[in-house]
Amino acid sequence: MTPEPGEPEAPAGPDVVLRALADPHRRQILRLVQHAELPAGQIAAHFDLTQQAVSQHLTVLKRAGLLAERRAGTRRLYSLRSESLQPLRTLLDEFWPDALGRLKQSVERAHPRTERRRPT
Amino acid sequence: MISVSVRIAAPPAVVFPYFTDPQLMVTWIGERADLDAQPGGTFAIDFGGTSARGSYLAVEPPHRVVFTWGIPQDATLPPGSSTVEVVFVADGGDTIVNLTHRDLPPDREPSHREGWERCLAVLAAAVGQ
Repeated sequence: MTPEPGEPEAPAGPDVVLRALADPHRRQILRLVQHAELPAGQIAAHFDLTQQAVSQHLTVLKRAGLLAERRAGTRRLYSLRSESLQPLRTLLDEFWPDALGRLKQSVERAHPRTERRRPT
Repeated sequence: MISVSVRIAAPPAVVFPYFTDPQLMVTWIGERADLDAQPGGTFAIDFGGTSARGSYLAVEPPHRVVFTWGIPQDATLPPGSSTVEVVFVADGGDTIVNLTHRDLPPDREPSHREGWERCLAVLAAAVGQ
């Protein structure tokens, strides 16, 4: 993989990535470029949107670090940066552990065990 | 598939209702719960801006509860598309809670190997984006 040219992307936090993914058009764009590098025009052809709207979606995805942009001559080619999803996978992996941690706290707070202190 | 376990210092009969009683459910997950804990009954939890929707498949107090899980607004993870099974194992006076969240329907696109988008929909609901 060659490093992507253009403006450097600061690592995006999960909030930025989630907001970028909250839009169905943007998710569709990511699907399109998941396995193929595509120029903007070819991406736009999949949508009933103005070129400008598609371009805005591409910008949001780039800022979130989800999209790599490469210039080839006069064209800009886009592809998915799948590694950018890793922090979110990690967060997801923590969802149920976090929830069960809260469950444990909640139950044990509501039902403090007193018999542990008594000799048996 | 996600598998998680936790040990809780209370017997299964105490822990079980935290998965079936709305008032107890919201002490640890979501902000609002609408639960009808019987097979076919509603399972609905709201998180911030999103929600998880499904229905109970099995309710066997105090040993096991199974419900489906999905996100209504998200076509990639519709209600009913994934299943959460919770098994409560008594251990001394404690309960081991074993939770398994299994999948998540086969992808419409076979090449879409990791199904990350569905995962992210779950995540989005989880963090109440």
